Amino acid sequence: MGYEEPITDYDYKVDNCTCAFCGCNCDDLVYLVKGGEVKGEIKDGVVVSGYIDGGHVIGVRHACRLGASKVMEDMDQRLLVPMIRDEKGNLVETDWDTALDKAAELIANAVRPVFYGWSETSIETMHYGLELGELVGAVLDNQATICHGPSLQAVQNAGYPVMTLGECKNRADMIVYTGNNAMNSHPRHLGRYSTFPRGYFRKRGRFDRTLVTMDPRYTDTAKMSDIWVGFEQNGDYEFYNAMRAVLRGKKLEKDIISGIPKEDIEELVEEMKKVQFGALFFGLGLTHTLSKQRNIDIAINLVQDLNKFSKWNLIPMRGHFNVNGFNIFMAMEQGFPYGVDFARGYPRYMNGETNTIDLLTREEPDVFLVIAADPGAHFPSGANRHLANIPVIQIDIHWGPSTELADIVLPGSFIAVEAAGTSYRMDGVPIYMKKAISRPKTTRDDEWIVNELLKRVQKIKGIKPTVAGK
Amino acid sequence: MTYVDRPSVPNVVKFDEPTAKKRNKLSLMLNTGSDIYQGACKKRGSTLKDEYRHASGTAYMDPKDMAKLGVKNWDKALVKTDWGEVVVYVAHSRDAPHEGQIFICKGPWANVIVSPETYCCCDPTYKGVPATIEKSDEEPLLMADLMAEVYKKYNENETSTGNRLVKIPNNNASNYRS
Amino acid sequence: MEYILKNGIVYDPTNNVDGEKKDVMFKDGKIVDTVSPDAKEIDVTDKLVMPAGVDPHSHIAGPKLVVGRLYRPEDSRRGIVPKKGVTRAETGFSIPSCPATGYRYSRMGYGTVVEAAMPPLEAKHTHEEINIIPNLDIAPLPLFGNNWFTLEYAKEGNIDDLSAFISYWLRLVKGYGIKIVNPCGGEAWGWGMNVHGLDDPAPYFDVTAREVITALAKANEKLALPHSIHLHPNDLGHPGNYETTLDSMKLVKGISKNSPVRNQTVHMTHIQYHSYAGTNWRDFKSAAPDVAKFVNNNDHVTCDVGQITLDETTTMTADGPMEFDLHQLNGLKWANKDIELETASGIVPFIYSGRNSVHSVQWAIGLEMFLLVNNPWQIFLTTDSPNAGPFIRYPRVISWLMSNKRRTEMIENREVHKAVEKKSTLATIDREYDFNEIATISRAAPAKAYSFTDRGHLGIGANADIAVYNIKPNEIDPSIEYEVIEKEFGNAAYTIKDGRILVKDGEVVKVVPSRTLWTNVNGIEAEEEAVIKKIMPSFNKYYTIKFENYKVHDHFVPRPMAVNVQAGKAAK
Repeated sequence: MGYEEPITDYDYKVDNCTCAFCGCNCDDLVYLVKGGEVKGEIKDGVVVSGYIDGGHVIGVRHACRLGASKVMEDMDQRLLVPMIRDEKGNLVETDWDTALDKAAELIANAVRPVFYGWSETSIETMHYGLELGELVGAVLDNQATICHGPSLQAVQNAGYPVMTLGECKNRADMIVYTGNNAMNSHPRHLGRYSTFPRGYFRKRGRFDRTLVTMDPRYTDTAKMSDIWVGFEQNGDYEFYNAMRAVLRGKKLEKDIISGIPKEDIEELVEEMKKVQFGALFFGLGLTHTLSKQRNIDIAINLVQDLNKFSKWNLIPMRGHFNVNGFNIFMAMEQGFPYGVDFARGYPRYMNGETNTIDLLTREEPDVFLVIAADPGAHFPSGANRHLANIPVIQIDIHWGPSTELADIVLPGSFIAVEAAGTSYRMDGVPIYMKKAISRPKTTRDDEWIVNELLKRVQKIKGIKPTVAGK
Repeated sequence: MTYVDRPSVPNVVKFDEPTAKKRNKLSLMLNTGSDIYQGACKKRGSTLKDEYRHASGTAYMDPKDMAKLGVKNWDKALVKTDWGEVVVYVAHSRDAPHEGQIFICKGPWANVIVSPETYCCCDPTYKGVPATIEKSDEEPLLMADLMAEVYKKYNENETSTGNRLVKIPNNNASNYRS
Repeated sequence: MEYILKNGIVYDPTNNVDGEKKDVMFKDGKIVDTVSPDAKEIDVTDKLVMPAGVDPHSHIAGPKLVVGRLYRPEDSRRGIVPKKGVTRAETGFSIPSCPATGYRYSRMGYGTVVEAAMPPLEAKHTHEEINIIPNLDIAPLPLFGNNWFTLEYAKEGNIDDLSAFISYWLRLVKGYGIKIVNPCGGEAWGWGMNVHGLDDPAPYFDVTAREVITALAKANEKLALPHSIHLHPNDLGHPGNYETTLDSMKLVKGISKNSPVRNQTVHMTHIQYHSYAGTNWRDFKSAAPDVAKFVNNNDHVTCDVGQITLDETTTMTADGPMEFDLHQLNGLKWANKDIELETASGIVPFIYSGRNSVHSVQWAIGLEMFLLVNNPWQIFLTTDSPNAGPFIRYPRVISWLMSNKRRTEMIENREVHKAVEKKSTLATIDREYDFNEIATISRAAPAKAYSFTDRGHLGIGANADIAVYNIKPNEIDPSIEYEVIEKEFGNAAYTIKDGRILVKDGEVVKVVPSRTLWTNVNGIEAEEEAVIKKIMPSFNKYYTIKFENYKVHDHFVPRPMAVNVQAGKAAK
């Protein structure tokens, strides 16, 4: 990649758009839009209300590589019309009514439907999804089940000392990333929230902070850090326990723990005790290894213990822009964060039982609805194998690995670009993401699609539509 | 633009690593996760393209391991675990050193070989799976071909030939397709 | 639609109706004095009729609640009810899911709840939950006590700009009034510290709680907001804190109120937690008589109690340092949530037990406050839900208040620890509330404190928010039949909201969406604009969210009930 000329041939700008990629939900993006007609107010070339009908985003300012790539999507692979598999196994285009009726029929007649995904759509869509799930007795689950599910279990075991990202920006003088390569997965996290920004009490930005990375790999984040702790793969549990033991004044009996000399551990703990405000960010490095939630139990306990000496908080580095949103949404609606089973007419939450991966490996589901997620790309094949046995309904915007396993494809719209909606940042700050341009004419909004499914299932079941929760 | 042919990787593989003993097959630990190329390509939606095969279907290795195996950037290798086997590219890891460990970005390729075992805690074991890696002449499959070959969803008469999974689906699509 | 409630025994303290047998008529959602012969008749002969309940302080919606639900599935599993008829499934005991919250308040005959702590940054979240909770009108109070802009203005003594800031922010986040939690202590918690008493300055900002409370009280009256400042004072739950409490109440004495409805210039919340004498948990005892005496002599104060109900519950407050202390004390899992520039908060599960001397004395202190404050218009029924106990225990608290026999039984049967006799005066108080006083502390008085003129009473023109209970006030002896009191106050015969019957015989029969009460201050738009211009550079630098995305969009408040106030001029 060489130098690229700045984009100047745009017609309109839309300010303060929210990035729909990772849990950073950066809300300072500027979309550069070409063509179309403004439906709303425009002031000095900036669209201040409404959206641009028929415009295309040709450039994004402030976004990282990930955000930019998502906003300026690959139109070659955009799903534009509903499709159903034919006898030969080919996806053929169809009209909305046929596709929706077929999908509603499958859902209405299912015994153990699973509605998976939701993390890349809006809270408004989830409302209809939940109502549908309660109606047919489905399991509702989201990507937390394969990413930060263990974190939530650890939170349930040990507690949840968190903060909003601004606390870190304004106060933190030590930042710890553990099991997480923020520079690759949340590229603006360091720049916008944690390490580089000049905060109220950290006027010199990066120079006022110590950056620590704990990761078995010398990642891009580790390369920028002041301290890199490269413990062994699967050694996290032992390592955090050692830290905690030292913090509580115990002597370590082994000289090397998880590949780290005990003197280094002692020194690090001493540093962590001395800071004014510490922030710990942990990622999937902790949740995906063997000890899973136990790693995070200890990390949380460590942070709690550190609070006896100074101020420490943590934040799980949530992956999708609304994965936290689904957990929050389910908790407020039905008391449990994810993997909620409505089969019995009341919500049931049982880790390892009512979660998607476990259900699939036990070959239990008989219909699988996937919305704004990609199990084809992210589930182990041991789980995906069952998707070959059952009908799969997909609501998404791109042709992806899951489309290869899908029997009905319903093309949705792109939240935060083509549709407005609410999302929750990794620290729980809600953001109303606005609509900048219109969606392709033949697609529909996620909200509309799920509501249509709901209405059609209600019709099949002979139930009068009720007022949705909202 | 964010399109690339393939991720950029360090090009300093030393084939004459003096301590390395060349072997045909290495036993290592498999680590999966995401990196910026995989993320950008996946979320842009370019999953059918060659870029995705390079971004996700690549085992990033420590240069010492590469020397032992006698491979260079963008050679091909077969990775096997208890759960399946898959052909991927190999490349010099940007995060090296991590001898004894390979990193494959999450995606359809890694899925074939990671463990679906959740130990009753909902999350499969994506990281820290024991694996072997050996040189291969086969070309890694593009996403669509890989999905077709691995899951055989729309190929009801297919038996297990060529299936890379240890356990194949008992495809009963005829049960629901009208 | 017209209705007539026939022959009930009506308690309506606002209109001086004290147990009269009369009809209550309503039409199109409002109370009227006549109805046509077509009116639908509901026979409630000899049954207890009151205005629907008004809860002045409860935590029912917002980020704290969700953290509680996320991290306490054991609480969600307690209280599961399958979906049935018009209701969806319910979960939760101390932190019920949103639908359960609405249903349970309805079953108790409540119609209005004040959500007592809304962090402005996450106000959208609170409003989302308000929209999911059915059957109530909800007024959220935004937190201002540790807001950096407040701290700066308080330090400068700049009441004009502070007023403009608050008036603008109330509109921005759709809030009802000013909530202050552990002023300066929340900011100190940003560094893991706390402040003690009114004169301990916040680190760096160098401003004291005394200055913050005074400034906010002045701004509140300058704007003539419908509610007074809503104060959770410093030193919550510390033995010996009653002096801070008395000082805090004295502080605002000189500030004259600017409201035709309410009497108070400060509302002291969960006063039970702030009425402790002693120096540590060993010599800890009740200071309720001192606090009650002050309240009795000063009508510029109202308080709600925060009665301990002796349950396993979830404590949650914006008082972050207090929650950490609690975690150190009981060792149960600690959640914390610091909000940039605005507030802290914490959550810890807690098991209040009658076998524990401290918990029992806390229980006694709450009841002492209820019984020692003479004027029921100054003391309101709350459990600071879920802190001292979940709101579904209100009926039980009512039964305690109405029955000296029950209280004596609890003390004598050792349902509570014997320390109650030594460390509080509860055993010596034989006052019993009557139905009129119950109607005052749970309806009329809270409504007055919030200047709700359209609810909390059954006068002509008021909202038809009515509760009917299967209690015959002229026949029952609550002192003996306390169990009946508890059961029936928890299962209303009818709950009527805006003229719609939501509950019949203790079952929810209708579900309607909730509305949001908020205060719209008019008349100082120019000042507001100037202040916003001034603070914008700081906002952009120190918040992590853009100003455009900070506000609560109309999308989140689909059913607003704005209370319009002319700045500085007390409304009608």
